[in-house]
Amino acid sequence: MTQRQVAMVIDLNKCIGCQACTAACKSLWTDEPGQEYMLWNNVETKPGPGYPRYWEEGGGGWNEAGTALNPGVLPLKEDHGEEIPLNFDEVYFKGTQEILKQEREMGKGANYDEDTSSGDYPNNYHFYLPRLCNHCTKPACLEACPVRAIYKREQDGIVLVDQDKCQGFRECNKACPYDKVYFNYVTGKSQKCIFCFPRLEEGVAPACARQCPGRLRFVGFLEDKDGPIDKLVNQWKVALPLHPEFGTEPNVYYVPPMLPPRFNADGTFDEEEPRVPLEYLRSLFGPQVDESLATMMFEMEKKQEGKSSELMDLLIAKEWKSLFGIPDVKVA
Amino acid sequence: MDGSRLETNRRRFIGGASAAVLGLRYGTVAAQDSSPSAYRRWEDVQRNKWTWDSVARGTHGTNCTGNCAFNVYVRNGIAWREEQQGEYGQSESDVPDYGPRGCQKGLRHAKYMYGKQRVLYPMKRTGGRGEGHWERISWDQALNEIADKFIDYNVEFGPRSVSTQLGTQMVLKRASFAALGRFATIAGCEVPEAFAGVGDLPIGVYMTTGVPLLADTMAAVFKSKVCLIWYCNPAVTRIPDAHFFWEAKYNGTEVIAISPEFTPTAMHASSWLNPKPGSDAALAMAMANLIIVERQFDPAYLREQTDMPFLVRQDNGKFLRETDVLGTPDARDNLFYIWDEVSGKMLEAPATGAPKPPPGSMVPVMNTGSLKLEGIVPALEGEWVVNGAEGPIAVSTVFMKVKAECQKYTPEYVSEITGLNPQVIVDLAQKFGAADPGMIFSGYRICKWLHGDLMQRAFLLLLSLTGSLGKPGGGLQIWNMPHEADQFAFMFSNLPPTLRIATMARWDYTHADHKKLNQQMYGNELAEHVDEYFEKSIENGWFPDYSDVKWKMGIYSGSNAANWRASGKRWRSEAFDQLETIVVCAPDMGMTAMYADYVLPVAHHYEREDFMLEPRTPYVQVLDKAVEPLGESLDDFAIYKAFAKAISERAKARGIAPVEDNFMGMPVTRDFTAYYDQFTMGGEMQTNRDVIQFLIDHNHGLPQVSFEEMAARGMMRNPGTETVMYDTDSPYGSTLIQAVRDKVPYPTLTGRQQYYMDHDWFMEEGETLPTYKGPLSNEGYPLRMLQGHARHGIHSTWRDDSLLLSLQRGEPDIYVSPRDAEERDVADGDLIRVFNSLGEFIAMAHVSSSMQPGMTFMYHGWDPMMFRGRQNFGAVVSTAGLIKPTSLVGGYGHVTYRPLSFEPNATFADFTVDFAKYTGE
Ligand code: SF4
Ligand code: SF4
Ligand code: SF4
Repeated sequence: MTQRQVAMVIDLNKCIGCQACTAACKSLWTDEPGQEYMLWNNVETKPGPGYPRYWEEGGGGWNEAGTALNPGVLPLKEDHGEEIPLNFDEVYFKGTQEILKQEREMGKGANYDEDTSSGDYPNNYHFYLPRLCNHCTKPACLEACPVRAIYKREQDGIVLVDQDKCQGFRECNKACPYDKVYFNYVTGKSQKCIFCFPRLEEGVAPACARQCPGRLRFVGFLEDKDGPIDKLVNQWKVALPLHPEFGTEPNVYYVPPMLPPRFNADGTFDEEEPRVPLEYLRSLFGPQVDESLATMMFEMEKKQEGKSSELMDLLIAKEWKSLFGIPDVKVA
Repeated sequence: MDGSRLETNRRRFIGGASAAVLGLRYGTVAAQDSSPSAYRRWEDVQRNKWTWDSVARGTHGTNCTGNCAFNVYVRNGIAWREEQQGEYGQSESDVPDYGPRGCQKGLRHAKYMYGKQRVLYPMKRTGGRGEGHWERISWDQALNEIADKFIDYNVEFGPRSVSTQLGTQMVLKRASFAALGRFATIAGCEVPEAFAGVGDLPIGVYMTTGVPLLADTMAAVFKSKVCLIWYCNPAVTRIPDAHFFWEAKYNGTEVIAISPEFTPTAMHASSWLNPKPGSDAALAMAMANLIIVERQFDPAYLREQTDMPFLVRQDNGKFLRETDVLGTPDARDNLFYIWDEVSGKMLEAPATGAPKPPPGSMVPVMNTGSLKLEGIVPALEGEWVVNGAEGPIAVSTVFMKVKAECQKYTPEYVSEITGLNPQVIVDLAQKFGAADPGMIFSGYRICKWLHGDLMQRAFLLLLSLTGSLGKPGGGLQIWNMPHEADQFAFMFSNLPPTLRIATMARWDYTHADHKKLNQQMYGNELAEHVDEYFEKSIENGWFPDYSDVKWKMGIYSGSNAANWRASGKRWRSEAFDQLETIVVCAPDMGMTAMYADYVLPVAHHYEREDFMLEPRTPYVQVLDKAVEPLGESLDDFAIYKAFAKAISERAKARGIAPVEDNFMGMPVTRDFTAYYDQFTMGGEMQTNRDVIQFLIDHNHGLPQVSFEEMAARGMMRNPGTETVMYDTDSPYGSTLIQAVRDKVPYPTLTGRQQYYMDHDWFMEEGETLPTYKGPLSNEGYPLRMLQGHARHGIHSTWRDDSLLLSLQRGEPDIYVSPRDAEERDVADGDLIRVFNSLGEFIAMAHVSSSMQPGMTFMYHGWDPMMFRGRQNFGAVVSTAGLIKPTSLVGGYGHVTYRPLSFEPNATFADFTVDFAKYTGE
């Protein structure tokens, strides 16, 4: 354990899949040659193959005992899609091409399955899952690196790849079960989300959180008793890690999604079965998802009856800044 | 084009700390960094990336209605990135604040503005239209050539032969808008009005309330008890605002999404209802019926605020008027009656019968008096016989008529129309009837049906019945509009107010032979029916006749009209390509610029000054100049100023005499040599900033400060915004507050929310009351194609951002249901031909079970340039000629031709298609 651990809680009931977080991160950190296919923050439609495609099936992480790494597959560049320039010049100014399009085929990109729903209408279901490096307490990437280029900062638990030390062995790429380390094909080094540490050091929340118009990404330190993270993760226990079975002990947590009720065959509402099959949610967030959803429903009902609910008020976040358990100073 | 520009943009700031504008340090972090060996050189490289040279306030003047406050960070002379200012306040203390706003398009703008779609220099076409062959010319050459043509058309065909069209890139930048408006007023050009032109004008709301738009701030959502997000998709279309819905849900509001497809909005709603496309008015009528039957309505509200207690003659179905009762020559036809339960007598309805405004007045009605009932209780129900001038007249009330109309819509009957279970309808009505207040949050999609006005009237009926219209947290939320007078301050200053707004649907009908289109698409009977009323309304003088002058020149400012016009290629050949000269002023290329004869470069959002007024938030928002305009681009004011100057100079040089013009009976002399002087108010207005300051000074709904101060802050709170609703001193419409709180009569014929339209044409069409009429189809094409605003674009722009494209499928896609795909042997990712008898386009099938079988859905804005044959969805939108007879009515109180309020709204939804696997290539 580091002295302190920074963490994020993402409320999936407020995420609208707008990709503002993705765009914010991209402009700030991954806008250089070799980074075109990198989305340190991405948002994918679930259920679905995600980004990179079928990342959940690529192995990696720890064995059940937590004593050794599982074998992992190297994620392929083409499974990420990438930002490709358009043929503006040829179409608009040279008149040599007819159709405006990407200069080359993208294949199935990072969000190819946007809003591709699962199940059958009208009982179909899908939701958005924003993903970034989890800055794990037991980072598989760090463990796997043969040259110790990866380190976890003592002061905030942020996991970083030292670009001076990395020699491009790509062991971390294979080991991370979330496929959240990327290989820069120009510099030959592995790169990943840095939790916007330069901002955090100045008391400013990471770009993906601060620039999220959905007001749903809480940032703070796990150790801050009664900070938003502690409340959601430890006290209310509604925020859960993604794929806890991977064994890396993530520090990004999710409030699981509650979709509107299903329909019975006659078109009345089905009050029993949730729209998203519980089995699916358990496969993402582990068995604790049941309790989390029950707490959420219970607290929401309190509000519907006109009673108060600390949990709901916390998630409503009347003051936007209450999302951030750090000073979050004005940026300029 | 300019390679070095891109390189500069790519040049990164590596090494060497620049002066970061950072005050606070997060002390505890540094303190806990216990290990001295923790210093890593590479971390400094990262730290240095988050540095900049200067910051400017800005936003995106794209008509997204977001109005989001941004800091634009400049490094090495390049707008490097943007980040939300974030620090907004609340509308009221018990609602969430507005921070941080923003969306992914906005967060791409610093990259996008340096993209190769940018227009950098004035260009003149060298090849055929649309071929993409250009010659770079100087501003002088461009303006002089265009000015000469402009003068020639004016002299030969009159000022109406030139049209100036404004589009989404500029309409809501207030100073730019005003600049174009002033130019058009001076020149007498026709300004095709795009609000109704894109099918967004809520004429049903106007018919009922006398204003087309009623919305409050977004935070009002939080105060609703039951919020129906009806046929609207704010999770996609209102990205900065969507959080209010889910926060309301957490707070106990029942948020119910109603849409045929499972939208991203439905995903987070408390519940989702899925009526068949276009059946919404039937559902609303069924709910109204149940609310009346269960007596959940609010009689006091109806008696005071609506025409429900007004007496209606049983013999001819007309309102009982003073003309019926007195029969004297001076009897008024706008004085109405109610039956007073207290005195048991018929009485004049308060606040009716005011003198009519003089001809040529800006407003069609001028009601006076108060809605206050002062001891009388107008009966809602009853039948009486009253004394008329010509004998006894049997009367009842509007409410009785509404009730009878609603009775047709039983849950079982409406279940058949909508496909919803009857019990679900009953429960929904019960909930909404009990909600205090209830809100309907809708969007412009309800305006795009031919019978969208009926939908709107039915929605409003629900809200009036429950007394929710005009309460914080209630009402019909679409949008609100800044006061007209404030917008017109600069346009008309020292000028006769001769702005010639042209209704697009009517211009096209006249000049692109839409009668023929209707015949081909919907059969002779419908075509003749529309045409009969169309001709009659012109004959009656209810609408201007456009047939005598054809446009020779089209100037498109920030408009990508060729992107979205219904009937696609047909419009391009029958209307667009008929223009002898096409001038496009645009920051970015697109379909419209591609087919222009001249393209003039416009400065982008971070390269100019202006301000935005958008009612989603109670703030006014500034665009400040962060960097110099790229290439030779100029802001809109500078372009129109230079154009006015060129016209004046060319006219002087050529010795052109003034032309005589006539604006609705008013003689106007158009003296070209004076255009520059007029435009600049005798040289006083030299920069966009002068205009901005002029507008601030003349709009008392704005904070009365200098633009400099506004720009330093970025956003400022407007007056009259102490609650979630807009008050009378705010910059926006406040009709409902005035009526409900202050008892000011509505600007309608009856001075009330008017549910009954007793005009002959409404009678002939069976539309005297809110009712349901089904959508039209193209025979033989089984699938309804719905459209909506896109997540990854704003109207017809921004669809070509390389990052956002990589976060979609890289090319245009259309959502289809698995059943429909399977039946046509189509798999996800296949290219399909989408067609009907009008035409076809090719796009990628996106198979998703979120689609109701029998429908397809395509997000707006994909540019025709991105399609094979340059044909986008416009190719199958066969609705261009559909004009409702009732929308052509004139001289009926407030229901009369009034641009931006009452005029034929373009229709975009009443068509059907089929699709098949595309086998070409
Ligand atoms: S910015 Fe926020 S709402 Fe948008 S996709 Fe990211 S996490 Fe979701
Ligand atoms: S998510 Fe992956 S990259 Fe990030 S710390 Fe965990 S194992 Fe390492
Ligand atoms: S484009 Fe509009 S909604 Fe998006 S960030 Fe800019 S102003 Fe806000």
